[in-house]
Amino acid sequence: MRQEISALMDGELFDDEAEALFDGVRRDQDAHQDWAIYHLIGDALRQPEHIHCDLSARVSERMQDEPVVMAPRARASTQRLRNIALSAAASLVAVAVVSWMSLQISPEVAPQLAMKQPALSPASARIQPKSNDYLMAHHEFSPSSEMNGGASYIRTVSYYPEEK
Amino acid sequence: MAEKEIDQLLVERVQRGDKHAFDLLVSKYQRKLGRLISRFVRDPAEAEDVTQDAFIKAYRALPGFRGDSAFYTWLYRIGINTAKNHLLANKRRPPTSTPFDAEESESFEDAGLLHEVSTPENELMSKQVVDVVQASLQQLPEDLRSALTLREIEGLSYEEIASVMNCPIGTVRSRIFRAREAVAENLRPLLETSKGNRW
Repeated sequence: MRQEISALMDGELFDDEAEALFDGVRRDQDAHQDWAIYHLIGDALRQPEHIHCDLSARVSERMQDEPVVMAPRARASTQRLRNIALSAAASLVAVAVVSWMSLQISPEVAPQLAMKQPALSPASARIQPKSNDYLMAHHEFSPSSEMNGGASYIRTVSYYPEEK
Repeated sequence: MAEKEIDQLLVERVQRGDKHAFDLLVSKYQRKLGRLISRFVRDPAEAEDVTQDAFIKAYRALPGFRGDSAFYTWLYRIGINTAKNHLLANKRRPPTSTPFDAEESESFEDAGLLHEVSTPENELMSKQVVDVVQASLQQLPEDLRSALTLREIEGLSYEEIASVMNCPIGTVRSRIFRAREAVAENLRPLLETSKGNRW
Protein backbone atom coordinates (compact mmCIF):
# COMPACT_ATOMS: atom_id res chain seq x y z
CA MET A 1 0.00 0.00 0.00
CA ARG A 2 2.95 2.34 0.61
CA GLN A 3 3.76 2.67 -3.07
CA GLU A 4 0.13 3.61 -3.79
CA ILE A 5 0.23 6.20 -1.01
CA SER A 6 3.37 7.67 -2.52
CA ALA A 7 1.73 7.87 -5.95
CA LEU A 8 -1.50 9.23 -4.47
CA MET A 9 0.16 12.16 -2.74
CA ASP A 10 1.82 13.03 -6.05
CA GLY A 11 -1.55 13.03 -7.82
CA GLU A 12 -0.70 10.03 -9.96
CA LEU A 13 -3.72 7.84 -9.23
CA PHE A 14 -7.14 7.88 -10.87
CA ASP A 15 -10.16 8.97 -8.83
CA ASP A 16 -11.46 5.45 -8.22
CA GLU A 17 -8.01 4.20 -7.19
CA ALA A 18 -7.66 7.15 -4.82
CA GLU A 19 -11.06 6.49 -3.26
CA ALA A 20 -10.21 2.83 -2.73
CA LEU A 21 -6.88 3.77 -1.17
CA PHE A 22 -8.46 6.30 1.17
CA ASP A 23 -10.78 3.52 2.32
CA GLY A 24 -7.72 1.38 3.00
CA VAL A 25 -5.88 4.14 4.85
CA ARG A 26 -8.94 4.70 6.99
CA ARG A 27 -8.79 1.11 8.21
CA ASP A 28 -5.01 0.94 8.62
CA GLN A 29 -3.31 3.15 11.21
CA ASP A 30 0.13 2.28 9.84
CA ALA A 31 -0.92 3.49 6.42
CA HIS A 32 -2.05 6.76 7.99
CA GLN A 33 1.37 7.05 9.60
CA ASP A 34 3.06 6.43 6.22
CA TRP A 35 0.96 9.22 4.73
CA ALA A 36 2.08 11.53 7.56
CA ILE A 37 5.78 10.59 7.28
CA TYR A 38 5.91 11.01 3.51
CA HIS A 39 4.42 14.48 3.90
CA LEU A 40 6.90 15.26 6.67
CA ILE A 41 9.76 14.30 4.32
CA GLY A 42 8.42 16.64 1.64
CA ASP A 43 8.02 19.50 4.11
CA ALA A 44 11.52 18.90 5.56
CA LEU A 45 12.97 19.18 2.06
CA ARG A 46 10.94 22.25 1.07
CA GLN A 47 10.84 24.23 4.31
CA PRO A 48 13.49 22.85 6.65
CA GLU A 49 13.30 26.01 8.75
CA HIS A 50 9.78 25.21 9.88
CA ILE A 51 9.39 21.65 11.06
CA HIS A 52 7.45 21.45 14.27
CA CYS A 53 5.97 18.63 16.29
CA ASP A 54 2.91 16.83 15.00
CA LEU A 55 -0.32 18.67 15.75
CA SER A 56 -2.58 16.11 14.14
CA ALA A 57 -2.99 14.04 17.32
CA ARG A 58 -4.05 17.10 19.27
CA VAL A 59 -6.39 18.29 16.55
CA SER A 60 -7.85 14.80 16.31
CA GLU A 61 -8.36 14.76 20.07
CA ARG A 62 -10.20 18.06 19.96
CA MET A 63 -12.32 16.82 17.10
CA GLN A 64 -13.71 14.06 19.28
CA ASP A 65 -15.98 16.72 20.76
CA GLU A 66 -17.01 18.05 17.37
CA PRO A 67 -20.22 16.82 15.78
CA VAL A 68 -19.88 14.97 12.50
CA VAL A 69 -20.28 17.46 9.69
CA MET A 70 -22.56 16.58 6.84
CA ALA A 71 -23.04 18.48 3.64
CA PRO A 72 -25.20 17.99 0.53
CA ARG A 73 -23.78 15.52 -1.95
CA ALA A 74 -20.76 16.75 -3.82
CA ARG A 75 -21.84 19.52 -6.09
CA ALA A 76 -19.24 18.90 -8.70
CA SER A 77 -20.41 15.41 -9.60
CA THR A 78 -24.08 16.35 -9.26
CA GLN A 79 -23.58 19.35 -11.50
CA ARG A 80 -21.73 17.20 -14.04
CA LEU A 81 -24.58 14.68 -14.13
CA ARG A 82 -27.13 17.45 -14.46
CA ASN A 83 -25.24 18.96 -17.40
CA ILE A 84 -25.07 15.60 -19.15
CA ALA A 85 -28.80 15.01 -18.59
CA LEU A 86 -29.68 18.48 -19.88
CA SER A 87 -27.50 18.01 -22.97
CA ALA A 88 -29.12 14.66 -23.69
CA ALA A 89 -32.61 16.10 -23.22
CA ALA A 90 -31.81 19.04 -25.51
CA SER A 91 -30.53 16.67 -28.19
CA LEU A 92 -33.68 14.55 -27.96
CA VAL A 93 -35.91 17.60 -28.25
CA ALA A 94 -33.93 18.81 -31.28
CA VAL A 95 -34.25 15.42 -32.99
CA ALA A 96 -37.98 15.32 -32.21
CA VAL A 97 -38.56 18.80 -33.64
CA VAL A 98 -36.65 18.03 -36.84
CA SER A 99 -38.53 14.75 -37.23
CA TRP A 100 -41.87 16.46 -36.71
CA MET A 101 -41.03 19.16 -39.24
CA SER A 102 -39.99 16.64 -41.84
CA LEU A 103 -43.29 14.82 -41.40
CA GLN A 104 -45.20 18.00 -42.26
CA ILE A 105 -44.23 17.53 -45.91
CA SER A 106 -46.15 14.57 -47.27
CA PRO A 107 -43.83 11.73 -48.14
CA GLU A 108 -44.82 11.62 -51.84
CA VAL A 109 -44.14 15.33 -52.41
CA ALA A 110 -40.46 15.24 -51.75
CA PRO A 111 -39.57 12.88 -54.62
CA GLN A 112 -41.77 14.91 -56.98
CA LEU A 113 -40.03 18.11 -56.03
CA ALA A 114 -36.71 16.49 -56.45
CA MET A 115 -37.61 15.43 -59.96
CA LYS A 116 -39.36 18.60 -61.07
CA GLN A 117 -37.23 21.36 -59.71
CA PRO A 118 -34.31 20.90 -62.11
CA ALA A 119 -36.73 21.06 -65.05
CA LEU A 120 -38.31 24.27 -63.75
CA SER A 121 -35.14 26.18 -63.27
CA PRO A 122 -34.16 26.61 -66.93
CA ALA A 123 -37.75 27.52 -67.81
CA SER A 124 -37.91 30.21 -65.15
CA ALA A 125 -34.72 31.70 -66.48
CA ARG A 126 -36.39 32.34 -69.85
CA ILE A 127 -39.55 33.94 -68.43
CA GLN A 128 -39.83 37.65 -69.11
CA PRO A 129 -41.29 40.11 -66.56
CA LYS A 130 -44.28 40.71 -68.80
CA SER A 131 -45.31 37.09 -68.27
CA ASN A 132 -46.00 37.67 -64.58
CA ASP A 133 -49.67 38.56 -65.00
CA TYR A 134 -50.19 35.37 -66.96
CA LEU A 135 -48.42 33.29 -64.34
CA MET A 136 -50.35 34.90 -61.48
CA ALA A 137 -53.65 34.16 -63.19
CA HIS A 138 -52.77 30.53 -63.83
CA HIS A 139 -50.58 29.70 -60.90
CA GLU A 140 -53.04 27.09 -59.63
CA PHE A 141 -52.14 25.05 -62.70
CA SER A 142 -48.50 25.32 -61.89
CA PRO A 143 -46.83 22.10 -60.68
CA SER A 144 -45.74 23.97 -57.60
CA SER A 145 -49.36 24.23 -56.46
CA GLU A 146 -48.92 20.73 -55.07
CA MET A 147 -46.71 22.20 -52.40
CA ASN A 148 -48.20 22.86 -49.03
CA GLY A 149 -48.58 26.21 -47.34
CA GLY A 150 -47.17 29.37 -48.88
CA ALA A 151 -44.37 27.68 -50.77
CA SER A 152 -46.24 28.04 -54.06
CA TYR A 153 -45.73 31.82 -53.91
CA ILE A 154 -42.01 31.70 -53.51
CA ARG A 155 -41.31 31.80 -57.26
CA THR A 156 -43.72 34.69 -57.85
CA VAL A 157 -42.19 36.77 -55.10
CA SER A 158 -38.72 36.21 -56.46
CA TYR A 159 -39.69 37.97 -59.75
CA TYR A 160 -40.62 41.35 -58.22
CA PRO A 161 -37.12 42.83 -58.26
CA GLU A 162 -36.75 42.13 -61.97
CA GLU A 163 -40.07 43.87 -62.68
CA LYS A 164 -38.70 47.15 -61.31
CA MET B 1 -5.39 14.01 -10.75
CA ALA B 2 -3.95 17.26 -9.45
CA GLU B 3 -3.24 18.03 -5.82
CA LYS B 4 -6.35 20.18 -5.70
CA GLU B 5 -8.42 17.18 -6.76
CA ILE B 6 -6.89 14.95 -4.07
CA ASP B 7 -7.87 17.55 -1.48
CA GLN B 8 -11.34 17.78 -3.00
CA LEU B 9 -11.79 14.01 -2.65
CA LEU B 10 -10.83 14.26 1.02
CA VAL B 11 -13.09 17.28 1.54
CA GLU B 12 -16.04 15.42 0.02
CA ARG B 13 -15.34 12.50 2.35
CA VAL B 14 -15.40 14.83 5.35
CA GLN B 15 -18.62 16.35 4.05
CA ARG B 16 -20.09 12.85 4.00
CA GLY B 17 -19.24 12.43 7.67
CA ASP B 18 -15.75 10.87 7.48
CA LYS B 19 -13.73 12.53 10.24
CA HIS B 20 -10.69 10.40 9.45
CA ALA B 21 -10.36 12.11 6.07
CA PHE B 22 -9.92 15.39 7.91
CA ASP B 23 -7.03 13.86 9.88
CA LEU B 24 -5.29 13.23 6.55
CA LEU B 25 -5.74 16.87 5.59
CA VAL B 26 -4.34 17.94 8.96
CA SER B 27 -1.30 15.68 8.49
CA LYS B 28 -0.75 17.18 5.09
CA TYR B 29 -1.18 20.89 5.88
CA GLN B 30 -0.22 21.32 9.53
CA ARG B 31 3.32 22.54 8.88
CA LYS B 32 2.38 24.83 6.02
CA LEU B 33 -0.43 26.36 8.05
CA GLY B 34 1.75 26.55 11.16
CA ARG B 35 4.44 28.31 9.21
CA LEU B 36 1.92 30.84 7.92
CA ILE B 37 0.41 31.50 11.34
CA SER B 38 3.83 31.94 12.94
CA ARG B 39 4.21 35.08 10.85
CA PHE B 40 1.38 36.61 12.87
CA VAL B 41 1.67 34.89 16.23
CA ARG B 42 5.28 34.97 17.30
CA ASP B 43 5.09 32.84 20.40
CA PRO B 44 5.48 29.20 19.25
CA ALA B 45 3.16 27.71 21.85
CA GLU B 46 0.48 30.26 20.98
CA ALA B 47 1.07 29.68 17.28
CA GLU B 48 0.46 25.96 17.76
CA ASP B 49 -2.77 26.66 19.62
CA VAL B 50 -3.92 29.04 16.91
CA THR B 51 -3.06 26.47 14.25
CA GLN B 52 -5.20 23.92 16.04
CA ASP B 53 -8.02 26.46 16.36
CA ALA B 54 -7.78 27.20 12.65
CA PHE B 55 -8.15 23.51 11.80
CA ILE B 56 -11.17 23.16 14.08
CA LYS B 57 -12.76 26.24 12.51
CA ALA B 58 -12.07 24.83 9.08
CA TYR B 59 -13.68 21.54 10.07
CA ARG B 60 -16.80 23.32 11.30
CA ALA B 61 -16.97 25.42 8.15
CA LEU B 62 -16.40 22.53 5.74
CA PRO B 63 -20.10 21.89 5.02
CA GLY B 64 -20.14 25.34 3.41
CA PHE B 65 -16.98 24.80 1.37
CA ARG B 66 -18.13 24.61 -2.25
CA GLY B 67 -14.80 24.01 -3.94
CA ASP B 68 -14.80 27.35 -5.79
CA SER B 69 -11.22 27.86 -4.64
CA ALA B 70 -8.54 25.33 -3.76
CA PHE B 71 -8.90 23.84 -0.29
CA TYR B 72 -5.48 25.08 0.83
CA THR B 73 -6.27 28.66 -0.24
CA TRP B 74 -9.48 28.47 1.77
CA LEU B 75 -7.66 26.91 4.73
CA TYR B 76 -4.90 29.53 4.68
CA ARG B 77 -7.52 32.28 4.68
CA ILE B 78 -9.10 30.76 7.78
CA GLY B 79 -5.62 30.52 9.33
CA ILE B 80 -4.88 34.20 8.69
CA ASN B 81 -8.25 35.31 10.08
CA THR B 82 -7.86 33.10 13.14
CA ALA B 83 -4.40 34.52 13.81
CA LYS B 84 -5.57 38.10 13.41
CA ASN B 85 -8.57 37.50 15.68
CA HIS B 86 -6.29 35.91 18.25
CA LEU B 87 -4.07 38.97 18.28
CA LEU B 88 -7.02 41.35 18.49
CA ALA B 89 -8.54 39.34 21.34
CA ASN B 90 -5.24 39.72 23.18
CA LYS B 91 -5.16 43.44 22.39
CA ARG B 92 -2.24 43.06 20.06
CA ARG B 93 -2.12 44.44 16.57
CA PRO B 94 -1.65 42.05 13.70
CA PRO B 95 1.43 42.88 11.63
CA THR B 96 0.45 45.26 8.88
CA SER B 97 3.83 46.28 7.58
CA THR B 98 4.02 43.29 5.24
CA PRO B 99 0.71 42.91 3.43
CA PHE B 100 0.01 39.26 3.07
CA ASP B 101 -2.87 37.12 1.93
CA ALA B 102 -3.69 33.48 1.42
CA GLU B 103 -2.71 33.40 -2.25
CA GLU B 104 0.70 34.93 -1.53
CA SER B 105 1.31 32.40 1.21
CA GLU B 106 1.44 29.64 -1.41
CA SER B 107 4.53 31.12 -2.96
CA PHE B 108 6.10 32.59 0.12
CA GLU B 109 9.65 31.35 0.27
CA ASP B 110 11.66 33.94 2.13
CA ALA B 111 12.58 32.12 5.32
CA GLY B 112 14.56 35.11 6.48
CA LEU B 113 11.35 37.03 7.05
CA LEU B 114 9.97 34.36 9.32
CA HIS B 115 10.16 35.17 12.95
CA GLU B 116 10.32 31.86 14.71
CA VAL B 117 11.09 31.30 18.31
CA SER B 118 11.09 27.69 19.31
CA THR B 119 11.57 25.90 22.57
CA PRO B 120 14.96 24.19 22.89
CA GLU B 121 13.32 20.76 22.76
CA ASN B 122 11.34 21.50 19.64
CA GLU B 123 14.28 23.16 18.03
CA LEU B 124 16.47 20.13 18.67
CA MET B 125 13.84 17.76 17.36
CA SER B 126 13.26 19.87 14.27
CA LYS B 127 16.96 19.91 13.59
CA GLN B 128 17.22 16.16 14.02
CA VAL B 129 14.35 15.50 11.63
CA VAL B 130 15.80 17.80 9.01
CA ASP B 131 19.28 16.33 9.47
CA VAL B 132 18.03 12.76 9.08
CA VAL B 133 16.08 13.68 5.96
CA GLN B 134 19.01 15.51 4.40
CA ALA B 135 21.54 12.79 5.32
CA SER B 136 19.23 10.06 4.01
CA LEU B 137 18.79 11.95 0.78
CA GLN B 138 22.53 12.24 0.30
CA GLN B 139 22.98 8.51 0.86
CA LEU B 140 20.50 7.61 -1.85
CA PRO B 141 21.67 6.40 -5.25
CA GLU B 142 21.81 9.21 -7.77
CA ASP B 143 18.71 8.15 -9.71
CA LEU B 144 16.54 7.93 -6.59
CA ARG B 145 17.83 11.22 -5.20
CA SER B 146 17.21 13.03 -8.47
CA ALA B 147 13.69 11.65 -8.81
CA LEU B 148 12.71 12.67 -5.27
CA THR B 149 14.31 16.09 -5.57
CA LEU B 150 12.62 16.82 -8.88
CA ARG B 151 9.30 15.84 -7.37
CA GLU B 152 9.44 17.41 -3.90
CA ILE B 153 11.54 20.49 -4.47
CA GLU B 154 10.99 21.30 -8.13
CA GLY B 155 7.39 20.12 -8.11
CA LEU B 156 7.58 18.28 -11.43
CA SER B 157 4.97 15.71 -12.44
CA TYR B 158 5.93 12.09 -13.07
CA GLU B 159 5.62 12.70 -16.80
CA GLU B 160 8.01 15.64 -16.63
CA ILE B 161 10.46 13.73 -14.48
CA ALA B 162 10.33 10.81 -16.92
CA SER B 163 11.21 13.23 -19.70
CA VAL B 164 14.08 14.79 -17.72
CA MET B 165 15.50 11.43 -16.60
CA ASN B 166 14.76 9.72 -19.90
CA CYS B 167 12.96 6.74 -18.39
CA PRO B 168 9.40 5.36 -18.29
CA ILE B 169 6.83 6.87 -15.92
CA GLY B 170 6.56 3.54 -14.09
CA THR B 171 10.27 3.78 -13.28
CA VAL B 172 9.80 7.31 -11.94
CA ARG B 173 6.97 6.13 -9.73
CA SER B 174 9.12 3.30 -8.40
CA ARG B 175 12.19 5.50 -7.82
CA ILE B 176 10.25 8.14 -5.92
CA PHE B 177 8.61 5.53 -3.73
CA ARG B 178 11.92 3.79 -2.99
CA ALA B 179 13.54 7.12 -2.17
CA ARG B 180 10.75 8.10 0.20
CA GLU B 181 10.78 4.73 1.85
CA ALA B 182 14.55 4.82 2.36
CA VAL B 183 14.28 8.21 4.06
CA ALA B 184 11.25 7.08 6.07
CA GLU B 185 13.11 4.02 7.31
CA ASN B 186 15.70 6.31 8.90
CA LEU B 187 13.05 8.65 10.29
CA ARG B 188 10.80 6.11 11.95
CA PRO B 189 13.15 5.28 14.88
CA LEU B 190 13.52 8.99 15.61
CA LEU B 191 9.77 9.56 15.51
CA GLU B 192 9.18 6.50 17.69
CA THR B 193 11.40 7.93 20.43
CA SER B 194 9.28 11.06 20.65
CA LYS B 195 5.89 9.39 20.95
CA GLY B 196 4.76 11.87 23.58
CA ASN B 197 5.53 14.64 21.15
CA ARG B 198 4.46 13.08 17.89
CA TRP B 199 5.82 14.30 14.60
